[in-house]
Amino acid sequence: MASRRDLLKSALLGAGAGVVAATALGSLGPEAAFAAEPRLGVDPGAADPDFAEGRIRSVKDDTLLVLGSNLVFHTIRVVGGTSLWKLGPVGLDQARPGDGLYARGVRMPDGMLAAESVWLNIVNVKGHVKNITREKVHLDHKGQDIVCHVVAGTSVAIHAGGPASGDLSVLRVGQHVQVLGAWRPDTNEVDIATVFSPH
Amino acid sequence: MARTPSTDPPADLLAPVQGEVSWFCCGTAWGPCSSTGRGACGTCNSGSLQHAWPNTSDACWAITRPDACGVSLSRRTCGYQHRTTSLCGGGTVVTAIADCGPQTDLFCGERSCCGSTCAGNRLIDLTPAAYSRIASLSTGLRPCEISTV
Repeated sequence: MASRRDLLKSALLGAGAGVVAATALGSLGPEAAFAAEPRLGVDPGAADPDFAEGRIRSVKDDTLLVLGSNLVFHTIRVVGGTSLWKLGPVGLDQARPGDGLYARGVRMPDGMLAAESVWLNIVNVKGHVKNITREKVHLDHKGQDIVCHVVAGTSVAIHAGGPASGDLSVLRVGQHVQVLGAWRPDTNEVDIATVFSPH
Repeated sequence: MARTPSTDPPADLLAPVQGEVSWFCCGTAWGPCSSTGRGACGTCNSGSLQHAWPNTSDACWAITRPDACGVSLSRRTCGYQHRTTSLCGGGTVVTAIADCGPQTDLFCGERSCCGSTCAGNRLIDLTPAAYSRIASLSTGLRPCEISTV
């Protein structure tokens, strides 16, 4: 059976291979996909060559040119089986210059990253709730004020490990929470995907 | 919420320990992470296979206080390696300590589950590079098992 890494590589070889790869990648469950054969031989503590972070400089066809925060450029190729996230599953058309991203895939010999997953503007911040309105949660994150927007039909809260609920009214001022969401580039604002609260 | 006294000896000394794993950013970064810095060890980077551990020093322990949740964890310092295994998909990653965290006491008693498989209390935070080896970053929080290497 072809490995997930082989499938990603084959997706770059041609249109026919890409279709095969996309189908096979899609057949893996989401958690099983992440359990599948990570690259061996990367020392714990070292940079992962199959991972990239930074901000998009340009989008051309199926390729993202990304400037890493460490000022290293990454060329990231989106293939048929690539999953993209921006507050939820999206298509490549939602990737914009200026977006921040994390990407995981397979580093090709020419340095390009064949993407398995791309997370656009994703943030995962913890902090104290300073204020709450129906539309916003104001968060104190290490002294930094972050305005978290409730997105109707999308934002959910998970209280004490219970089921996800669209009702965020149970959040309380002073509570410590974790907000997973999508950053609005060049602002201190985030659209909420999930709020985790322990109590 | 009622808090229970810590276990003795440290839970992770005798066998793998189960808890919750989340992810955090560090090093040079964009967005809200841009002011995060390189962590307590001075080496932390989002793109590296690293993690935060609640007991890297006395000062760290005073902040994270997992004992307030009834969990005692061994003192492990910068560079020490742990293996984190997702209880959802079975993915595993070995990482090195680069920061102090998570702030376990603020989430005492919290549980996360995959179906009927659950684990409680936040015991480890992985960098995005490490977490994305065992789960999608969009999951945010997962039950896991932590062991020494």
